Amino acid sequence: MSTDDLRRDLTRRTENSPQELLTRSFFFLCAVLSIVTTISIILMLTTEAAKFFSFTAPLMGIEGPTASVVDFLTGTEWIINNEQFGVLPLVSATLAITIGSAVVAIPLGVATAIYLSEYASPRAQQVLKPALEVLAGVPTVVYGFFAVVYITPALRTVVPGLGTFNMLSASIVVGIMIIPMVASISEDAMSAVPDSLRQAGYGMGATKFDVSVGIVVPASLSGIFSSFILALSRAIGETMAVTVAAGSQANLLNPLNPASYLEGALPMTAAMVNLLTGDITGGGVAYRSLFAIGLTLFIITLIMNVISDFVAQRYREEY
Amino acid sequence: MATGQNVIEDFGHVSRTVGTVFRYLLLAATLFGIVALVILLIYVANDAIQPLTADPRWHLTFFLTLVLPTLAVGGYLLRTDPASFRFGASVVGLLAVSTMFGGGAAMIFVDIVPPVVWFGYVLALVVALAGVVGIERFDRRLPFLARFAGAGAVIVGSLLLVPGLVQGLPVYPTDGIMLTLSLGAPVALVVGRYAAAEAGRRGTLLAVLVGVVAVGAGEVLGPMLAIGAVPATVLLSIAVVPTAGYAAGVVRRNADVRPGLGFVAVVLGGALVGAVVVDALGFAGPQSWVDWQFLTSAHSGTAADAGLYPAIGGSILLMVTVAALSFPLGVGAAVYLEEYAPNNRFTRFIDVNISNLAGVPSVVYGLLGLGVFVTYLGQPTGTVLIGGATLALLILPIVIISSREALRSVPDEMRQASYGMGATRWQTIRNVVLPRAFPGILTGTILALGRAIGETAPLIMIGAPNVLFSLPTELSSKVSAMPLQVYAWASLFASEPFYQAAVPAGVVVLLIVLLSMNSVAIVLRNKYQNQQ
Repeated sequence: MSTDDLRRDLTRRTENSPQELLTRSFFFLCAVLSIVTTISIILMLTTEAAKFFSFTAPLMGIEGPTASVVDFLTGTEWIINNEQFGVLPLVSATLAITIGSAVVAIPLGVATAIYLSEYASPRAQQVLKPALEVLAGVPTVVYGFFAVVYITPALRTVVPGLGTFNMLSASIVVGIMIIPMVASISEDAMSAVPDSLRQAGYGMGATKFDVSVGIVVPASLSGIFSSFILALSRAIGETMAVTVAAGSQANLLNPLNPASYLEGALPMTAAMVNLLTGDITGGGVAYRSLFAIGLTLFIITLIMNVISDFVAQRYREEY
Repeated sequence: MATGQNVIEDFGHVSRTVGTVFRYLLLAATLFGIVALVILLIYVANDAIQPLTADPRWHLTFFLTLVLPTLAVGGYLLRTDPASFRFGASVVGLLAVSTMFGGGAAMIFVDIVPPVVWFGYVLALVVALAGVVGIERFDRRLPFLARFAGAGAVIVGSLLLVPGLVQGLPVYPTDGIMLTLSLGAPVALVVGRYAAAEAGRRGTLLAVLVGVVAVGAGEVLGPMLAIGAVPATVLLSIAVVPTAGYAAGVVRRNADVRPGLGFVAVVLGGALVGAVVVDALGFAGPQSWVDWQFLTSAHSGTAADAGLYPAIGGSILLMVTVAALSFPLGVGAAVYLEEYAPNNRFTRFIDVNISNLAGVPSVVYGLLGLGVFVTYLGQPTGTVLIGGATLALLILPIVIISSREALRSVPDEMRQASYGMGATRWQTIRNVVLPRAFPGILTGTILALGRAIGETAPLIMIGAPNVLFSLPTELSSKVSAMPLQVYAWASLFASEPFYQAAVPAGVVVLLIVLLSMNSVAIVLRNKYQNQQ
């Protein structure tokens, strides 16, 4: 790059003066902090989780109750007082929240993105975009309160037999929360589709509907898809709304059966909060189970983020 | 080419219905989330403020004195003179937002930092600055190290000695006077220079003096209005004087927008007249849960007596800590990545790492805080310091990403011009790149701070107490926060009275703070984008 060459020539003499060195190393340390953060997250989660599982605990010098990995991954009961740590009920609840919120957020988010990028006037965009941002800016604990106090009673008029704490209203608020994420990333992808493609469509006599659905959406499919994954990973990691709204009964439920949304369940994140707000002793096996769930959560969201990145990079159409 | 083989006779019938239906479906989908949120907000505001419990005559009075004139004047201005309307509306908005933050600052001076301590530290800074300038002026031929060491000694010495000296004085001025000198004077200096525009030295001096005197009036006005001298002085110096200075500065630069001041007068006058009339005729206002008692008292077992005061104070302290930690670190990382980083594998690794960190759930950051700060570093649980540090780590990726965007928008020609003038890299960054990118960086940071204010899960993870009865007074004291208090009421004290009174009131206060932070950020961004 020519700018870099130019800069290099012009600043070579001062490059290593004390002041330059000092500022440069400060900025470098700031950037390295992000790596330190990641490493400490991984180290901390793995060491604490290792103390939790029975086959690694002796290596860490831990005595006392532990849990086996097989029981953790395949157990269907999550009862802390009995020291039964089966993560499946928690995963099933998280999965239910994810599917439910996807049903709400994906159609609405994509429609919003198409509207904003293809139909809305610049003026409408100026109003709608900040309004959507507000949707993502409302604290999640507030969404949880909305779900319990306003949405559940309203839904009960349509769906009788809905419990006070249920997955349905929790999924709905989480879905509303992640609409802006789907919409903004998809909209970015759609805006990046060059106008010449649209004009070619119009030149062939296509209507605006044909252009939007037949040209813009397919051309930006990789961006749309990566927005889904990112938004869903956000839904998986969502904590306070589900803690307040989904209840605290660790039921194993079938996420694909609509009837299971009528009752409450305990998603992974809510289980972590409940562990800490209940009476657990620091350093006990329950305390370490916290890190085991945290590790599971971290791995799932990390994989989803990496996939989303990969999809966006690998399948991006270069124009 | 072959003709007559595949001739298309016509396009057939192109239906408009599909397109029209599709268009309105899209619009409906776009509005769905927004409308749903607005409805929920109306419900929660209704529960918290209960406007229907007010005397109808109360509503009528305010409708006649405030709403009707505001609509009439505002509508007229918007049609005839949009620039003036925007100016008037921004003055009213600035006053509202700055009053809110001034209230928060007043809380700090009443309960956390006594004015005398603050006065001592400001005085120490002034002394240190004067000392450093003195050393620089004394003899420029002194070697760099000697000057550096001298300046360091002056700064450290004055910070160590002056505050203690001030607090040890047998008599010191009243709190109001100390705040006027230490908080009002710097504000008046900045605001006065803006307000005076190009009025020359005397005009500027006069404007600054007017500002200081106006702040000093808090000493007299506060006791008269029964809010105390300290809050009155703080409110004057953070809300009233800056707003007035902004209005004066804009009008001096562009006299065409003067009608906007009429709009301000109508809004403020209408509110004042309405309040006086309601008070004189004894019309009862709404029985709002968000009232003085709610804002100034602590948690209580009965919903009607519960208050948010320790949580508000905790949120303010957390916000200050988070901003102080995440702003320099985030901007520093962004500067490294945009201005210094070579294009190699390590840089790309940092890049991917930051975008992945942005996707890590907030509970996991809470676990990080719990594991690193509490378990390994042995800090006590739930303090302001570790809460702030955890939240700062949480928003760091957001700050970095938005700061990078702002830095990237600075045109390369400006950097080249600076290098061409012989500037070093750091000089270029300090004098050219950062000032130009500053509004963008600020916008991103405010939005990220808004995110930090609304976070609950990390605070629960690090063991912040659900119920706290007094404000945290230092970095190592336990902290609560507004969303945490709302969670405690909605979940641990879940009962009908709490659902109907305390929780909606807490939600409304939290949302007002967040929405005003968001709107400040959005206004800043729009202003900044229009300039480019």
